[in-house]
Amino acid sequence: MSDKKSKSFQFPKWLNTIRPHLALGALVGPVYLIVLIYYAWSPQTTMVGYQPVQPVPYSHALHAGELGIDCQYCHYTVTEGAHASIPPTQVCMNCHASIWTESPKLLKVRESFATGMPIPWVRVHDLPAFVQFDHSAHVTRGVGCESCHGRVDKMEVVFQDKKLSMAWCLECHRAPEVNLRPPEFATAMGWAPNEDPAVFGARFAAENNLNPREDCSTCHY
Amino acid sequence: MIPRWFYPLGLIAVCLALVPFAVVAKLRATKSPDPRPQIIWDMDQGYAYQSQQPNALFRDGRAMRPEVNGTVARGELRADDHMYRGKVNGEFATTFPPGIEVNRAMLARGKERYEVFCLPCHGYTGAGDGIVSQRADALQQGTWIPPISYHSDELRNRPAGHIFNTISNGIRTMPAYGLQVKVEDRWAIVAYIRALQRSQNATIDDVPANLRDKLR
Ligand code: HEC
Ligand code: HEC
Ligand code: HEC
Ligand code: HEC
Ligand code: HEC
Ligand code: HEC
Repeated sequence: MSDKKSKSFQFPKWLNTIRPHLALGALVGPVYLIVLIYYAWSPQTTMVGYQPVQPVPYSHALHAGELGIDCQYCHYTVTEGAHASIPPTQVCMNCHASIWTESPKLLKVRESFATGMPIPWVRVHDLPAFVQFDHSAHVTRGVGCESCHGRVDKMEVVFQDKKLSMAWCLECHRAPEVNLRPPEFATAMGWAPNEDPAVFGARFAAENNLNPREDCSTCHY
Repeated sequence: MIPRWFYPLGLIAVCLALVPFAVVAKLRATKSPDPRPQIIWDMDQGYAYQSQQPNALFRDGRAMRPEVNGTVARGELRADDHMYRGKVNGEFATTFPPGIEVNRAMLARGKERYEVFCLPCHGYTGAGDGIVSQRADALQQGTWIPPISYHSDELRNRPAGHIFNTISNGIRTMPAYGLQVKVEDRWAIVAYIRALQRSQNATIDDVPANLRDKLR
């Protein structure tokens, strides 16, 4: 009997003296895990800052920023459709048929133009398939590109600047005021009203009868 | 007795517990070329193709199918020569098509569209000094032909239909904009170019008599 006892495992005695420590650990551990997961799983961590490598070193900072080409020159369906088109190669060749015609950076563009195969641009912003997002509903009613895509005119390579989570959509749908501007400035970057944006937005929303909806069927159908 | 290694080990454990936070903080502060790790896929990706998605089934890799050659989609029959080609009896039309009304709202639309699509090359007044044109000239590569000014007699006398055709199909070294600009918007741009030409070639007779004093 005593033989068996000596062979079996026994917790060391000193463990008794650290029982308060263990209790503290048992309390802090779960809190730690919850805080960590909340922090690590938030869309701010997982979604923001995604910046895929693109097949052509195309720069918005140059074309939209320095050259000041309007977003709609390339994304020309943005005021009419749900989808803001990525421009076909033809659009690049409007200018690059006679600018930088030999540039190695544009090799893939010329190749695509000659063969008719699309340039394999990598998608940056991508909502799940069960969400219906509509660009024209926002852009023509006074939400600028900047509110959802950030300062694209300063990006060498496009990255995701906003969370694009459901909470983020709803945050603005509940209180869109600070993000509103006259639709003719939708593509302008760094636009701000002369007065307090909240005051301007409230007046603008009332004048234009803006009332973004929050019921599930607005975005899920 | 608590063993001597207990407190140092505990301290190390607490320090290690901070490492995940540091990693996450770095992830939040930097950009990453990798897509987010998705452990649970929910129903994020459907089987239906979305706009401009690739589809390996087709040789050109496009899920969105272009129109088959020689076919006309419903509602896309463009039989009206005046409206869609700017021609009447085979000649360039000098008037706007009957379905297009020239008014203030249309001119405003024309200005807005002009400043999106034409401004980079032709400039605000149509003199041909757009910023892309200036940059291309500065590059001195010898491949750029600057746009011509709208303000010559030749261009002022171009029929409206000719300018419409220039936008739709391009001319000489100017690329075609038919893909990017809708038909009604092309006519609106034509009207705006007419306004630009008037504005840059105005005489005192164009100013209403009661306002002339203000100009002196
Ligand atoms: C000269 C053409 C051109 C202009 C002008 C332009 N873009 Fe783009 N844009 C592109 C191309 C090509 C891509 C795809 C490659 C990439 O992501 O960089 C793109 C990608 C994007 C994307 C990422 C799309 C995705 O995959 O999620 C956003 C957002 C965007 N553009 C916004 C803008 C905004 C806002 C402006 C105006 C300030 C603008 N663009 C002006 C050509 C243009
Ligand atoms: C409206 C005219 C215009 C359009 C449309 C345009 N670009 Fe450009 N692009 C320019 C000009 C002008 C420059 C040269 C700027 C400079 O070097 O001063 C340039 C430069 C570039 C360069 C750098 C070339 C080099 O060797 O330094 C790349 C790459 C480029 N463009 C890609 C694209 C792509 C891809 C598209 C289509 C989505 C596109 N561009 C559409 C006007 C245009
Ligand atoms: C209310 C927020 C919002 C505004 C305003 C907005 N976008 Fe987007 N944009 C998005 C979202 C969300 C997506 C991802 C759509 C998806 O995955 O279906 C997106 C996607 C895109 C894409 C990728 C192609 C596509 O449609 O999926 C481009 C290009 C783009 N936006 C350009 C623009 C431009 C240019 C403007 C301004 C004229 C603009 N966006 C204004 C939220 C916005
Ligand atoms: C910056 C503010 C803002 C953000 C962010 C935003 N929206 Fe909106 N949304 C609006 C406004 C303003 C309207 C126009 C409301 C109106 O017309 O009364 C609108 C309208 C819509 C509509 C059309 C509703 C209708 O009545 O037809 C849909 C769908 C929609 N939003 C979906 C989304 C989704 C999905 C997201 C997130 C990816 C999103 N929105 C993010 C401001 C925003
Ligand atoms: C303004 C647009 C909008 C409205 C209104 C909206 N959603 Fe969403 N919802 C979204 C977007 C965007 C996502 C995707 C978020 C992401 O990718 O993280 C989403 C995701 C979800 C998901 C999946 C979450 C996950 O983790 O995958 C569920 C479930 C959902 N929504 C339910 C609802 C319900 C229920 C309502 C009504 C109370 C509702 N939604 C209203 C935009 C909306
Ligand atoms: C990429 C630069 C570029 C853009 C953008 C551009 N053009 Fe041009 N355009 C030219 C050039 C170059 C010429 C001179 C062609 C020549 O003489 O070889 C020209 C010539 C013209 C002419 C005179 C043609 C004639 O002889 O009758 C008209 C009219 C014209 N453009 C209208 C437009 C309109 C309208 C737009 C906007 C939809 C536009 N252009 C956009 C480059 C451009």
